[in-house]
Amino acid sequence: MKRKLTATITAAALALTMLTGCGNSGNAPQETNEPAAQQETTQDTASEETEAPAAPAQDGEAKTITVWAWDDNFNVAVMKEAARVYGETHPEANVNVDVVSLSKEDVYVKLQTALAGGGNGLPDIVLLEDYVSGKYLNTFPGSFADLTDKFDYSQYLSFKVDAVSQDGKTYALPFDTGATALYYRLDLIEQAGYTEEDMQDLTWDEFIEIGKDVTEKTGVQMIVEIANNKTTLVRAMMQSCGLWYFDKDGNINIKNNEALKASFDIILKMKEAGILYEAESTEGRAGALNNGTVASVVNAPWFISSIRQAEDQKGLWRAARIPRISTLDSSINASNVGGSSWYVLENSPVKDEAIAFLQGVWEGNTDFYDTIMRNQGAMGSYIPAYDTGVYEEEDEFFGGQKLNGLFAEVLPDVIPVNYGGYVAEANDAITTALANLFEGKVSIDEALEQAEAQLANQLGR
Amino acid sequence: MKRHKKTGPNYNRYGWAFIAMAFLLYLLFTIYPAVESLALAFQSMEGGKYTFVGLKNFKRMFGDAVFLQSLKNTFLYMVIQVPIMLMLALILAVLLNSRFLKWKGFFRTSIFLPCVTSLVAYSILFKMMFSLDGIINQVLMRLGILEQPFQFLQNSTWARAVIIIAMLWRWTGYNVIFYLSALQNIPKETFEAAKVDGANAAQTLFRVTIPQLKPIVLLTAIMSTNGTLQLFDETMNITQGGPANSTLTVSHYIYNQSFVYAPNFGYASAISYMVVFLMIILAIIQFSVAGKEG
Repeated sequence: MKRKLTATITAAALALTMLTGCGNSGNAPQETNEPAAQQETTQDTASEETEAPAAPAQDGEAKTITVWAWDDNFNVAVMKEAARVYGETHPEANVNVDVVSLSKEDVYVKLQTALAGGGNGLPDIVLLEDYVSGKYLNTFPGSFADLTDKFDYSQYLSFKVDAVSQDGKTYALPFDTGATALYYRLDLIEQAGYTEEDMQDLTWDEFIEIGKDVTEKTGVQMIVEIANNKTTLVRAMMQSCGLWYFDKDGNINIKNNEALKASFDIILKMKEAGILYEAESTEGRAGALNNGTVASVVNAPWFISSIRQAEDQKGLWRAARIPRISTLDSSINASNVGGSSWYVLENSPVKDEAIAFLQGVWEGNTDFYDTIMRNQGAMGSYIPAYDTGVYEEEDEFFGGQKLNGLFAEVLPDVIPVNYGGYVAEANDAITTALANLFEGKVSIDEALEQAEAQLANQLGR
Repeated sequence: MKRHKKTGPNYNRYGWAFIAMAFLLYLLFTIYPAVESLALAFQSMEGGKYTFVGLKNFKRMFGDAVFLQSLKNTFLYMVIQVPIMLMLALILAVLLNSRFLKWKGFFRTSIFLPCVTSLVAYSILFKMMFSLDGIINQVLMRLGILEQPFQFLQNSTWARAVIIIAMLWRWTGYNVIFYLSALQNIPKETFEAAKVDGANAAQTLFRVTIPQLKPIVLLTAIMSTNGTLQLFDETMNITQGGPANSTLTVSHYIYNQSFVYAPNFGYASAISYMVVFLMIILAIIQFSVAGKEG
């Protein structure tokens, strides 16, 4: 009996280790194995499983820094490039950087679950959107390393630093910005009788008029937005006035938000004019642009990689500052959508190494910033990098336009707002309100009132 | 005592040893989380710490328009989808059980086949079929019924319809199997007696077959009701709850509360227990409707 008991216990222990093992290696199949950044992938996974956090790492054995990010063509690729650069410039550090590619939703779900569950299975560095920064810092205080003294934050864009700071402490290394541009098909605009000149510093009303002509003369709809999430346009328009879902103190600001009201009005006008193409998903949006069923889109620099997929459209695209809201004096031809930052987990066994890695590549190395701007369209937040030649480069896909220069020009104009952390919740409320508005069930004022009530309830206020 | 000994001195101990492993895992992964989440339902997390808030989470539900909407949607699916599905399943089962049907094996397999597809896979398939350039739009346009592709999933009525159609496709065959096995257990004499008494096919079905299927009808009804109340994969993958939350289910909302929005595990647990409560009530109603012998 005794022997059987021990056998049972061993079996149970085995089963448990297998279960926890699964938790760790669950990421493995999703890892993209680009050899450049991921030195010795097989050893990575092997060492990950044998490396108990308590066991002291032996000298000479490379430590692994695990990073979670979500876009193979963008931030994952950028972090792999950073890992490669770090390996070259700091060979003495002797670390492997393991960049795990998940979907953005999975990053949040896994992070949220792991933090709420006590901290098992967390990465060492994680990418988070600035929109959700406040939510994680508030909900899980003490989980992210305080980086205030680790970087010279005066060298980074102040609105980016503000977005990742709380109570005077800064918790992340600012990564990309979402300097917003209007990307459009010049050939279609010209067919409708307009020129590149006509697309500069527009108001949304003028944009809609041009759009009507384009749709009428070419049969192509003017602008694309995702049907069940029209908030990219809403957010771009809102921040162009320096307003947001929340005010400076973090209070909900929807019902009486002039910019939101105006943006609802504009989007509704687009729909009624028949110039708005409602794509079913992010893939559908990229598809519509690539196969020429839509003539323009408003988005951040990182979005260009989706537009570039259509090689036959090379030279046909142009970028311009986004239109402004004519009815509001505060509205300017510049805005920001999205943008994210790198966080180090406080309880990571390789916290110091992770911080050293971020310092080693992301501070001071302007060549690195040039590379990621050129290859991934990643517009960093490191101010010294803006003086380099990469911003003078001409982009063939955009007919020789100085695309990076445009972003560099837009960025200083962007009005900082307090994102408030609960943007996912606000986006859902706004999406619901817009859907009801589109179905004609409510007026704009009613829609905004509903959205405010939904958000207030959601946040327990 | 003697009879007990006959089964062997270690009978009980071995018995316990065999179920110990399964029971331990059950305790660890089912009972413990259930108890823990009940405790969680009375707590709320702020600033990383859980505090006891009494019934606040339960009170919050009644003022939460999105929760009430999700409850309404879930009941809508249940009221429309479950009866249609069970009726269809019954008809199919009777047909499949018919003496005159050839290639029974083939038909049985084809009807059961949807049940082995993964929930996510079939959901994505339905999403593709009803998308703008999907096969449904293409066929309707070829036939001249539609001039332009229709956004099925952006219209609240049609989005719900698509979810119901998808569920019918996926789950009808599952219920057919239950009815089929029950049909084969009905004593042949009862049919013969009905025939002798001069009953026609319809009378036989409603007076002989269905009454004898009652326990199975009850079982499938309760299972389908529970399944519908826990509906998640379909809405998550086909519509993401949209447009305007018109397809959002309670389970989907629980997921959003836990993982999409600021983590609100306390409130999410409270909603889960509300679902448990509703299931119990519905089961009681179904038992009493089905009658005592059910």
